Amino acid sequence: MKPSSVLALVAACLPAIAWSQHENHGTPPASAAEVRRPPAPREWTRQPLLLPGKNPRGERAQTLLRVQGIAPAVLSVHAPAGPAERRKVDYPVAPEGARIAPAAPQVGNYHWVVAREESAEAVKVASTAWYFSNPGDSPKELLRSVKHELEIVPAPLPREHGSYRESEKWRFLVRFEGQPLAGQPLTLETEFGSRSTFLTDRDGIATVLFPRDFKPATDQAGGDGHGPRRARFVLATEKEAAGRRYLTAFNHAYGQDADRDRSLGWGAAFGLVGMLAATPLLRRRAARPQGDNGNA
Amino acid sequence: MLKTFFPTLSRFRLAVQLVMLFVSVYGSVFVGTYMADKISNNLPALSCAYDQMNGGYCVLIPTQHIIHHRIGEALVRAQQLTFGMVLPLLMSFVAFFAFFFVLGKAFCGWVCPLGTLQELIGKLGRRFGIGLRRAEAGDLGDVRRVRPVKWLLLLALVFVLPLLTGLGVTPHSLGNPYCDICPSRVATTLLTGSTEQLALRVNDGIGFGLGAVANLLIGFTLVGALAIRQPFCRICPLLAFNAVFQRLSPMRLAKKMHDNCGKCGICSEACPMDIPEIAREEGRKAYHEDCTLCGRCAEYCPQDDVIQLKWGPFALFSSRRDYYKAKVKGELPDGTVKPVKFVRNPADA
Ligand code: SF4
Ligand code: SF4
Repeated sequence: MKPSSVLALVAACLPAIAWSQHENHGTPPASAAEVRRPPAPREWTRQPLLLPGKNPRGERAQTLLRVQGIAPAVLSVHAPAGPAERRKVDYPVAPEGARIAPAAPQVGNYHWVVAREESAEAVKVASTAWYFSNPGDSPKELLRSVKHELEIVPAPLPREHGSYRESEKWRFLVRFEGQPLAGQPLTLETEFGSRSTFLTDRDGIATVLFPRDFKPATDQAGGDGHGPRRARFVLATEKEAAGRRYLTAFNHAYGQDADRDRSLGWGAAFGLVGMLAATPLLRRRAARPQGDNGNA
Repeated sequence: MLKTFFPTLSRFRLAVQLVMLFVSVYGSVFVGTYMADKISNNLPALSCAYDQMNGGYCVLIPTQHIIHHRIGEALVRAQQLTFGMVLPLLMSFVAFFAFFFVLGKAFCGWVCPLGTLQELIGKLGRRFGIGLRRAEAGDLGDVRRVRPVKWLLLLALVFVLPLLTGLGVTPHSLGNPYCDICPSRVATTLLTGSTEQLALRVNDGIGFGLGAVANLLIGFTLVGALAIRQPFCRICPLLAFNAVFQRLSPMRLAKKMHDNCGKCGICSEACPMDIPEIAREEGRKAYHEDCTLCGRCAEYCPQDDVIQLKWGPFALFSSRRDYYKAKVKGELPDGTVKPVKFVRNPADA
């Protein structure tokens, strides 16, 4: 076959291949908002959590968040930007949870959500970063600002369309009243039952290793056949100060290691086939001395 | 001063390309991690969003994404197209155009990381004496045969399939089909040391198929670029996308007719996109949809001021006989570096 025909063939095949149909799963870039799934029936942690409720398909302007292990009056939603009076909006918590929305259009994707339960002796906080499909400012300032006494601050959050994943290391800053806490223990628990503790360094940063603990897809946790499989994790830390006990948790989703449903072998094989297909282009030189290949 | 570092336009362009390759592949080191920190999320170059370290995103990503998730899904709910649904798409095009206005299609010839990679490989090919192959009658076949492919890819993979997926007609893994076959996704992520995008999704038929096409394309491109100049550019949907807007940017290629035109043809010999029109035509027709504004034709035209790179009324570079004479001493129009034998002397052709 003439090399030109190979090129033309490869090119011509593309739309055809794209049109072929199979049942399948989604791929990035998919909004994080659409890959959540219903909660596992058994409790996997006693830490306070903020969990996504059921949302209609295609709904991205708002979301239902449930609380677990905590009884707040309101959910406070902190915005990455926007008018001052919308920077923090409180939503009353009903039995099914609270329906939260971005502070304003185009202020940024990530919003910081806080549930707080307070008594004379203790302050309990559940927190999460919620991703709305609402492009705008980056969450840098949102993370920098102090939102409660004891904070677990992702440094950084997964980039848009990215996520925490098994086997990865991510950094978290632990702050108390805005000041980094050195040597502070941070405990990680996952939906699949892993539990580990990390200590913050001098700068208050803990480097958290997400365990490779996804169970096969038949398990009740993980996967709704729509997007990469995900499970939940929670990070928690505690501190006593001025006679009060502070407990703060940050929960979010993590995905399975990409190599679990990808094959490098197949990938490399197709890459090599592509390379081989191009080699005839290199060989025919002898037949066409240089200078002879000008405009015909 | 500029002259000493960059004696030729090619040298200057290579420097720009290398800097932009670095920015587009590793730019997060400077600009930050989050989308809002990027140079732009709508760049007219294949700067891949899957590359976790990039400095900006290619415009094809938001286009597929908005058509799939905003327009398609909104149509399903409301059954009628409102201005609000197409607004994000328009905003994305406006953001794209803010960049495109300045550099126009020079994004292809000066900024795109995949273009730069292919050119670097091409230089290797010339250096090692691999014969140049051209898309022209008598060699690989008429270049016009391959030209419609980029339009087809743009239409089918960037517009139609994402829309059908949003409408629920095609399965979810056809939501951003162009990204799935994009060789730049594989190449730029490999450059950051990640093999994740090279690996194929095995329990998803469509994902596997699309990924396999991407890998075939990048394999073919990496080796093919030794012999063909910029093989992938010729079918690149972003070239087509940029071509839609090319007359709206002040950056352009200007060509006048000279008596030798059509006979000498050195410009089209120098053209990495094998565009014969640059030698045969003038004005609008010479600034072809396939042009990447690389400027090689202007460097190699031996006639004063016949080919120019222009921004509005300003000529950024004009062909000149003395420049041409100096240039061919170092490199032949087809990119051959050592002039072993110089058969087609244009002056006395
Ligand atoms: S190199 Fe210059 S003179 Fe020769 S065909 Fe091209 S434009 Fe005309
Ligand atoms: S026509 Fe000129 S500027 Fe355009 S791609 Fe060809 S050589 Fe480059």
